[in-house]
Amino acid sequence: MQRPLSTLPLSSAVKAKLVTAGFHFISDLMNLKAPQLSREAGVSQQEAMAVLAELEQGVPPPSMSALQLLQKEAELQSIITFCSSLDGALGGGVPLGKTTEIYGVPGIGKTQLCLQLAVDVQVPQCFGGVGGEVIFMDTEGTFVLQRFAELAAAAVTHCSLLAEDEEQRVAMETFTVDTILSNTYVVRCHDYVELLAELRLLPSILAARPKVRLLVMDGMAAPFRPLLDDLSARTRHLGGVALQLAAVATGHDVAVVVTNQMTTRLLGGGRSRLVPALGELWGHALNIRLHLHWEGSQRLATIAKSPAHANVTVQYQISSDGFRDVDQSHAAGAK
Amino acid sequence: MDPQVQSALSSAGLQTYKDLLMVPVTDLMKVTGLSFKQVEQVLTNAASAWRSPPLTALQMKLSLSVHCLSLGCPLMDELLKGGLPVGGVTELYGQSGAGKTQIALQLCVSVQYPQDQGGLDSGAVFICTEDSFPVKRLQQLIGEQHRLRPQLTALTSQINFSDNVYIEHAADLASLRLCLSQRVPLLVARGLVRLLVLDSIAALFRSEFQASDWMERNKQLISFSSKIKDLSQQFNLVVLCINQVTDVMDQSGGSSGPSPSLGLCWSNSVMVRLRLTRLPQWVSEGGQHSALRRLEVEFSPHLPPHSLPVAVWRGGVRGLQ
Repeated sequence: MQRPLSTLPLSSAVKAKLVTAGFHFISDLMNLKAPQLSREAGVSQQEAMAVLAELEQGVPPPSMSALQLLQKEAELQSIITFCSSLDGALGGGVPLGKTTEIYGVPGIGKTQLCLQLAVDVQVPQCFGGVGGEVIFMDTEGTFVLQRFAELAAAAVTHCSLLAEDEEQRVAMETFTVDTILSNTYVVRCHDYVELLAELRLLPSILAARPKVRLLVMDGMAAPFRPLLDDLSARTRHLGGVALQLAAVATGHDVAVVVTNQMTTRLLGGGRSRLVPALGELWGHALNIRLHLHWEGSQRLATIAKSPAHANVTVQYQISSDGFRDVDQSHAAGAK
Repeated sequence: MDPQVQSALSSAGLQTYKDLLMVPVTDLMKVTGLSFKQVEQVLTNAASAWRSPPLTALQMKLSLSVHCLSLGCPLMDELLKGGLPVGGVTELYGQSGAGKTQIALQLCVSVQYPQDQGGLDSGAVFICTEDSFPVKRLQQLIGEQHRLRPQLTALTSQINFSDNVYIEHAADLASLRLCLSQRVPLLVARGLVRLLVLDSIAALFRSEFQASDWMERNKQLISFSSKIKDLSQQFNLVVLCINQVTDVMDQSGGSSGPSPSLGLCWSNSVMVRLRLTRLPQWVSEGGQHSALRRLEVEFSPHLPPHSLPVAVWRGGVRGLQ
């Protein structure tokens, strides 16, 4: 194991001392005890212990075979969108354990889809739902309670019409607008620093609320807009955010949904094109990208990137009940 | 916190939680000389000390008292489900003569009513950029109040409406910035104002920049739009921005109809977009004549895209059945 010590996440002072004392690779430190290391490298006992603790962590986690991964993924459900054509295109809905980005022009329905998913994730399991809770991070004040309650009421009515057996009738007793509201945790962030702080706290919030199955981040680009002057800091922060979101998704079996704005890219020669904001690097960071766009007066959703789905375009509408199929007779099949 | 860590942080000049959290982790390791684990620990501690735990939507519902400002017309309030939202930016756009300023003036009056009357029991600040403030029209609206709300004559004679409308003129971007960063926060912090009107936003950004300066313009636009958004969220203000229309040329060189000025960069920061259109028909009522208008919701997180015919009368803008 010829891994250089400089790759360990240690403070620069300690690293310098180790190198001067002639320790260059991880293997040089093997079989050393803390007092000995502290004496030879001239670091404090405490620092020596920290170095050795770091080494033990360097052992990689056990690997999984592709078959095991497949089995694990097959157990993971998806959150239905109440729009059966979009569910079909996504293979059952927005998958748990994956990160999904929704982007499009203002007013196309990004927030509506987020609010809809925040209700849908709470649909009880006997109705084909996930029966989970949701954390809604709102950076632009778009979480409008009135509208959320409206979508919740529509979903409750929809399920109560479908209730057939005893189990479903019992489940309906606890699936009400008030329980939906009380299972929705709203986090407001006004700038990127607050957003970064909240992301740091997510692991502990998720540990305290194991039923959370959806994390919505509505408005990813807005908080980072003031950083346009310092693109390198923005890129580093965004890289960190992407890693944290991926860790939340895979570590807690949570579906992570973020929304992104559009921005204009100049192509030269006076031509321009609309592209999702936050740059090229961000586009690689997420598993699935869903593009919502207008075609005349029709609203369309296109899967722009996904390792597991074809690039399909489907039509949807936003009714007073929420995000739905264009043909209302299909909507009943959302179950 | 470990004293060694503490001294490393203070010698690096990091005082507040915010200072700490806005530095990328790798940079923080460099400036403080701390290890990755220590930095992570410090940041997590800082975040949990700084931020309060999340609220559930149910708690929000119970703690929320008023979340919108009535326009003073039941039909228009119905279209907007109660009125303009508190804590977000509403844009009203339309051609000249559509009646945008009329709606803004009407809000300056209705914000002064108590909360059970749809107001916010506070004043308004009105920032003019192009025209001078239509003070005569405001007086006329105020004079009509006792006739419009006859059951409240005791109240309307008590409120001194014109004293609670603060008027600012901002002829250029520098004075607008000064106004938004100093004068408006002062008024708001004293509780004198809950409504901020900007009439109109496009003029400043249109006149000060050449077409080739779009990069600088966008930067200014971003800092301006985050400023008003922060103000609205921090102080629970209603913010109304009046915008003009621009004809957009499509690829073939033809016009694809008027659209709001300032482009996508601005649209991205608007929460509710309303459109006011002047129609060719005329309507009359009780000896007054008015051109017919249509007020429509173009997008909003909580409103369906409906529209309502409206007309401008002596007493203000009213919806028509």
